[in-house]
Amino acid sequence: MSWAIRFEGVSKKYPGAGWGYPSLRGDLSRLGRSVAARFMRRKGDPGGPFALRDVSFDVKEGEAFAIVGPNGAGKTTALKLLTRISFPTRGRIRVRGRIGALIEVGSGIHPELTGRENIWLYGRIMGMSRQEISRRFDEIVDFAELGDVLDRTVKRYSSGMQLRLGFSIASHLDPDIFVVDEALAVGDAGFQAKCVERMMRLVAEGRTLLFVSHNLTAVEAICRRGIFLLDGQIERDGAIREVLQSYVDWIDARQQERWSSPGAPRGRGLAVERVSFHDASGAECAAFRTGDTIEIRIAVRPSRPIVQPAFAFGITDGRPGSLIICSMAVDGQVPPVIDRPTVVSCRIHDLPLLPRVYQTWCSVIGNHAYGDLLDWQIVGTFRVMEGPLGAGAPAPLSALRTSGVIHVAHAWDVATTGDPDVVAAAEGYSP
Amino acid sequence: MTATAIELVIESTNYTRPRDRARELWAFREVVLAFAERNIRVKYKQAVLGVLWAVLQPLIFLGIFMVVFGRMGNISGGATSYPAFALAALVPWFFVQTAVTFGAQALLMDSALLRKVYFPREAPVIGAVLSAGLDFAVGFVLLLVLEPLLGGHLSWNLLMAVPLWLVLAVLTTGVSLILGALNVYYRDFRFVLPVVLQLWMFGSPVAYPLSAVHAEWRGAYVLLNPAAGVLDGFRRALAEGRLPDLGLLGLSTAVSCLVAWFGYWLFKRMEPGFADVV
Repeated sequence: MSWAIRFEGVSKKYPGAGWGYPSLRGDLSRLGRSVAARFMRRKGDPGGPFALRDVSFDVKEGEAFAIVGPNGAGKTTALKLLTRISFPTRGRIRVRGRIGALIEVGSGIHPELTGRENIWLYGRIMGMSRQEISRRFDEIVDFAELGDVLDRTVKRYSSGMQLRLGFSIASHLDPDIFVVDEALAVGDAGFQAKCVERMMRLVAEGRTLLFVSHNLTAVEAICRRGIFLLDGQIERDGAIREVLQSYVDWIDARQQERWSSPGAPRGRGLAVERVSFHDASGAECAAFRTGDTIEIRIAVRPSRPIVQPAFAFGITDGRPGSLIICSMAVDGQVPPVIDRPTVVSCRIHDLPLLPRVYQTWCSVIGNHAYGDLLDWQIVGTFRVMEGPLGAGAPAPLSALRTSGVIHVAHAWDVATTGDPDVVAAAEGYSP
Repeated sequence: MTATAIELVIESTNYTRPRDRARELWAFREVVLAFAERNIRVKYKQAVLGVLWAVLQPLIFLGIFMVVFGRMGNISGGATSYPAFALAALVPWFFVQTAVTFGAQALLMDSALLRKVYFPREAPVIGAVLSAGLDFAVGFVLLLVLEPLLGGHLSWNLLMAVPLWLVLAVLTTGVSLILGALNVYYRDFRFVLPVVLQLWMFGSPVAYPLSAVHAEWRGAYVLLNPAAGVLDGFRRALAEGRLPDLGLLGLSTAVSCLVAWFGYWLFKRMEPGFADVV
């Protein structure tokens, strides 16, 4: 399979400090020089740090490819270069096919115009022809779930509606190469599911997808290959599972640091010192296997005695809603009081989760009506690795990723119930 | 999907041959029109008086001119009344003013799009100039109605308004591209712009006749201010019913094309950095 996108030693530097918004006064002395340099196409060193440094990778035709990495790693910069919004400082990018981008969608929507007008105008600015728009107009409206507010000015829309409108227009472009940046942060759960579905359909249709997201679960579900960018450089390039593995390793390492330093999540009257995961032997660990025992420990320091603090842990796979909830309140095991540094741990036996990356959420609610002591928030990430699920060989990730994430004990049975002559010639079957 | 799709190469400069650039702009014509249409819709949706502004602006200035120049300055309208004389140049002048004001700001107004969507960056600028064309069309109707009432002479020469407008459109596109590109890098141009436009107006034969400039200097004058030849042409065609001075108009056209070419060249040179700075 040939490549659709190829980065060849691409570096990017943004104009450094003092260059962002140059004023005429400050620049007048340099004006001649700087403008002249621009005319002469002299590639002066703009100074400042590299947003991307010597990045090379290929995306194959029809492949779903992910770029993961922390904020500021250069993911969005890579997409901007690819979509010709910005130009590389060095190196080159080669692209085969028409590119359609979904970068922070919704920003081009004009608040003074109606939804209908925006679809027509924004759609054309994004590169759709009039015929394409009129052909897909209803689809766009349906997808955005606008319906009856179509002829109202967009400024009267809720922000979710505005974002949905933007995503809907952009996602009905008909590109060969689809570039998606964090579009999944858009809208409610139902809409997010629709977006993932739409992306998967595009991939199934043979479009090339370049997906940038912090939603690792969605990345794992959709993409086959990817790169992990860190500080503008490729840290890992390969199959998506390896890439995510090294990214999650990095997150884990960072997380450990963060918990031990100030700036950890603070509750009201309750400081979270550290959150850690432990295996059956009590050793700290960030990767588990299905069926393992996992212990989640949270070390807290109350600033005043807290009566009946109800801790709750939730585990999610990145999608809204928890897969598992362990709640002291539900279990009726709320401690009477904590008035000194305390470690609360919750042990889950026979972890029923299939290989993926999981987030752990936590909240603490007091018995007084003061509100939550600790708001429901992500406190840690762990992952479940592949391991033997039974007598057979471990299932490949590609088979697992389209299925659910909870593992339950189950058994199969195949029983014949009819005569053999009913099926005369089954596909590829000869007795 | 075709495996043999055209390969696009993105490098540190966006240099492409002029012919390819023209082809690309043509391929993006729909985007230019969409920008123009959007500007018009937004502009008249936000203003209570809507399209009336295109009529009111020149009329208000006509009132000021009549008092300041007609009465106090004692400038005569020559073959016609002063109001007929002034209005015939005011309407096209307001096209210049609107086109340059919006054209030079277009990139900043659409900075959100600029940072997210690819299109040749001149598209919003040209779109802004085109959308000012609607104001001109409205003003033109006003001229057709008022000129006979104010003592102007209309003849078939009014058809000259079309080529004259085209020259102004080329000129204002060029100026907008220059100012628009500089505006991205140096926000100070936002404050400079109104001053420049005021000076430009008083440096153009809007309130006074071209004959105020000595005949010997007229060529040099038009060379410096290509709008002068066109505005005078409008006045002759729409107030006096005569043909424009074709020599001066030719000179204006040549200079306008030169300005547009330079503006485009400058704009394309500065274009790669727009999204990083805007």
